[in-house]
Amino acid sequence: MTRVAGLHGWEANERVLESGGFESRQRVLVPETVVEPSEAGARWLGVTYWQAVDGFTRGGVRATWGEAGGRLRLLGGATLLRFGPPQLGYGDGVVSCRYAIEGGLLALRAGGSVTLAQRVEEPEHELSVTVEEYLPRLAARAGTPWWTGALYAKGQSPFHAAVSRRYFELLVQGCAR
Amino acid sequence: MRVAVFGATGVIGRALLPLLDQHEVVAVSRGPRDGESRIRWVEADVASGEGVADALEGADVAYYLVHSLGARDFERQDREAAGNLSREAAAAGVGQIVYLGGLGGDDPGASAHLRSRRETGEQLATDGVPVTTLRAAMVVGKGSVAFETILGLVKRLPVMITPSWVSTPTQPVALEDIARYLAGVAGNEAAIGEGFDVGGPEVMTYRQMIERIAVLLGRKPRIVEVPVLTPALSALWLELVTPVNASVARPLVEGLRSPTVAREERLRKLLPFELTSFEDAVRRALEG
Repeated sequence: MTRVAGLHGWEANERVLESGGFESRQRVLVPETVVEPSEAGARWLGVTYWQAVDGFTRGGVRATWGEAGGRLRLLGGATLLRFGPPQLGYGDGVVSCRYAIEGGLLALRAGGSVTLAQRVEEPEHELSVTVEEYLPRLAARAGTPWWTGALYAKGQSPFHAAVSRRYFELLVQGCAR
Repeated sequence: MRVAVFGATGVIGRALLPLLDQHEVVAVSRGPRDGESRIRWVEADVASGEGVADALEGADVAYYLVHSLGARDFERQDREAAGNLSREAAAAGVGQIVYLGGLGGDDPGASAHLRSRRETGEQLATDGVPVTTLRAAMVVGKGSVAFETILGLVKRLPVMITPSWVSTPTQPVALEDIARYLAGVAGNEAAIGEGFDVGGPEVMTYRQMIERIAVLLGRKPRIVEVPVLTPALSALWLELVTPVNASVARPLVEGLRSPTVAREERLRKLLPFELTSFEDAVRRALEG
């Protein structure tokens, strides 16, 4: 299923929460940890994710960062999503990097987050990308025909899953040095 | 211990030598040098291999702080020079080679320069001498080419048109700190044969770096980011407005596309000390 040795157990799921927000999660399993439990390790999860976005879109969508957080920009112009600064965590077998979603063209309003994590799942380790409570502008609203959300269902959602897959590959490839 | 320092006259080498005072130091340069009596200067050229065996005679540790950046075929030259050092170090019975490489060399989109830094480390290990590799991002210090390039831009330009690499994250490290780490790994059992990421205390983008240097210089440059600006054009532009030549600037600019951020902190735990803040490192570089 994947091109990188040692990376298996791909799972991807998505659901709409009672709040109306979306939750999507992709994960893989790896035999060894790819980052150490430290601030640097947690930060690396985030750095690699933005690299994956950039690489997957061939530079079409890039993350830019400032004091207050980051933005995903299309061709250096329009802001697709705006994020808060990274919240780094490590301990109890989990290393994580969480970004709060603060707005942008692809968000109906501020809210939700993207969390990149590595956690122990004996005897292996799970790498995951979890989007929680995100309100996508392109998704169908309650009571509207299904096709109003086609851009999300057929475009943004599979794109996000494909980026996650690329991200996992990059993490594992980087670890093999 | 006897320690041979190849590249002793460079920015890093000059900062390192005073920290090796508990060792017998052989400082290696390509031309004749006079120096302090406790340091023995010898002439050798790793590119040709000439004098390298003599410089390494009796050495326990060899520092490799040499690069050919700016040469047309720097990748080949660096590979050959590292091969020469590796071979002679093995023949001389050196117990450890210490090499300062770069972060970002594992990025799938890594530039020729970053790839070459990684390959140099691999080449140094080919003849069996354990190599300690320190991988660092930009070194903030007087004479550091990458730092002087950024400084040149800030000093000269009220408005900067920059490619998107200004948004790439990096973790610059003070010259004094990298020298301290290099000195600390010599003969250190826990470091022999190991590779370490080395970063400063903060991660920032190049844009933030430019802005923070500008504040220290009392300037307020306007940065206009454009999506398309080729490395060749950027390098020519840098040659025009900074003291850095295009042949050096181009590989550096290409490398700026890759994040240069430490992904582990093992060296910080092995050699704990308070890292110099970015502002203090810049102030020292400006004063020096």
